[in-house]
Amino acid sequence: MSAVGAPLLDVDDLVVRYPVPRGLIGLLRRRPQLAVHAVEGVTLVVEAGELVALVGESGCGKTTTAQAVLRLVDPLSGSIRFQGDDITQLGMRALRPLRRRMQIVYQDPYESLDPRLRVQATVEEPLLIHRMGGSKGERASLVSDALARAGLSPPELFLDRFPHQLSGGQRQRVAIAAALVLDPQLLVADEPVSMLDVSVRAGVLRLLEELKASGLGILMITHDLSTAARFADRIAVMYLGRIVEEGPAGEVVRNPQHPYTKALLSVVPRRDPRMRRRPQILRGETPDAVRIPSGCRFHPRCPIAIDVCTTEDPSLRRTDSTQSPHHRAACLLA
Amino acid sequence: MRGADYVVKRTAFALVTIFVAVSINFVLFRLAPGSAVSNLSRVPHATQELRQALKRQFGLDKSRGRQYLIYLEQLTRGNLGVSFENEQPVSTNLKTAILNTLPMVALGTLFAIVVGTLTGVIAAWRRGTPIEGATVTTALGFYSMPTHWLGLMLVILFTGILPTGGMTNDFLINPSFWTHARDVLSHMVLPSLTLGLVLFGEYTLIVRSAMLETLGEDYILTARAKGLRPWAIIRKHALRNAMLPIVTLVALSLGYIVAGAILIETVFSWPGVGRAVYDAVLNRDYPMLQGAFLFLTISVVFFNLVADLLYYKLDPRIT
Repeated sequence: MSAVGAPLLDVDDLVVRYPVPRGLIGLLRRRPQLAVHAVEGVTLVVEAGELVALVGESGCGKTTTAQAVLRLVDPLSGSIRFQGDDITQLGMRALRPLRRRMQIVYQDPYESLDPRLRVQATVEEPLLIHRMGGSKGERASLVSDALARAGLSPPELFLDRFPHQLSGGQRQRVAIAAALVLDPQLLVADEPVSMLDVSVRAGVLRLLEELKASGLGILMITHDLSTAARFADRIAVMYLGRIVEEGPAGEVVRNPQHPYTKALLSVVPRRDPRMRRRPQILRGETPDAVRIPSGCRFHPRCPIAIDVCTTEDPSLRRTDSTQSPHHRAACLLA
Repeated sequence: MRGADYVVKRTAFALVTIFVAVSINFVLFRLAPGSAVSNLSRVPHATQELRQALKRQFGLDKSRGRQYLIYLEQLTRGNLGVSFENEQPVSTNLKTAILNTLPMVALGTLFAIVVGTLTGVIAAWRRGTPIEGATVTTALGFYSMPTHWLGLMLVILFTGILPTGGMTNDFLINPSFWTHARDVLSHMVLPSLTLGLVLFGEYTLIVRSAMLETLGEDYILTARAKGLRPWAIIRKHALRNAMLPIVTLVALSLGYIVAGAILIETVFSWPGVGRAVYDAVLNRDYPMLQGAFLFLTISVVFFNLVADLLYYKLDPRIT
């Protein structure tokens, strides 16, 4: 049924808001219903065999975007298309067969595994949910395959262990194996390495790279621009619920257009300690996502903002100084 | 053999606890003002000779240390002394009382566990909805209700419909087994319900908070992302992990139920342990009290041990 040529994942103008509880007094005084504007019009495409990095600081809506894409959170408006099929409005029941094809890996491998299940049971569970894998023996071999693919070999060494008997990197690999066992087409990785030791990060990231090479589409959420620059094909920079810059990874890093991206890049340490660049520290805090600033949402912290920025909300567009036609930024001055 | 190791260790620990409690039990009653003899010999013209004779009879002329050793020795033989009240061995009295208490408490607890778990799970799953509000309010209401007051209210409500006192109908003569069983059961309904309602409130709150904690974990979200049905998520992942605090708290509360049943058994004239304690206090029946205390101690320690062992079974991390 999926349309030929349609992208693996096509998110268009996605909006997710969380209502703020008013409380009884607020209700009685008829205060307006406030909402946290977690995601405000995100448009994003992930193709098969592509790794897209969604970059931004904490609280900018990265994780909400990831969860909305998998319909774990309900969007207010916009559309999510998976392999050409609109899944924005599907109910729990209709989503179930789709869950097979899109999986998620979480940030904290100490939290995302059920402490009471052995590795074998954790990885086998998705097969049981979707009634796949046939006999017990076949399932066992699928589980072993998934573990081996996730870089846990020999798998027999890990099958009978509990999560607390594994290291952080091994746990994350188990989580990835549990996602891979269903042979999904899309993998959403929510900060897959931020809780891991630096020494095991590279291993997990290389694993994602291999999976990508085998045709998996990956949406990686991260706050680490240097990781994104090294491993992603494309980078989307998010600020306060909106994508402010998007383009091929190399382009975005070498030739950033949005002042927010520039600020983020300026604090990435250089490899050569003699080459010092003055880090550009942003003023103030990220604004409250309940009260989004008028005009360009970045203007209160922007080092180059002018008057018009406080009134006009820029959309994502090509800028004059970009080399790639796919490199776009949402800044009036770029 | 780590499992067996754990069991042996916990059991040994429980035995040591009981020994310490028994010793405190001994000291406590000797610290109480007055002596058993002065109370017993409070008759007109009690002579010094009578006092001496009584002292010898109860072994109170011996040194404290010697008394302690005798006490321990008799305990190991199951001799808890003789009740002042009916001059029966305390162990016989206690045994009857325990056998009366257990079915009543068991029925109430079962009710509380089943209903409490169910409502607790529903409240957690339907967080933020009126269903949760109603459940929590009801649970809090019953939890904070004085047991005896609730018991009295039930007595008022059900007078004439269900028996409100005692354990059997004294006017049944030579009843068959089934008539007797039905009779006891109908007497058991109200005290059990009182206990069940008070405990249910507590259990609902415990289950709800434990469930909320596990429902917030990432592996629940993982399970959802993998397409597991909501009810299966609750059963397989949330409740299993929430069981840990629930089991501990339930097991701990079981230890105290026997003591807490004092009020219920008094309201409903249920001839159980609680009632025995109440009567013993009124009659200054020290040996009976001492025996009852011992039983309460053992029941608390026992259920602690049960909680520990269940913990081991439920949590793979504990060794």
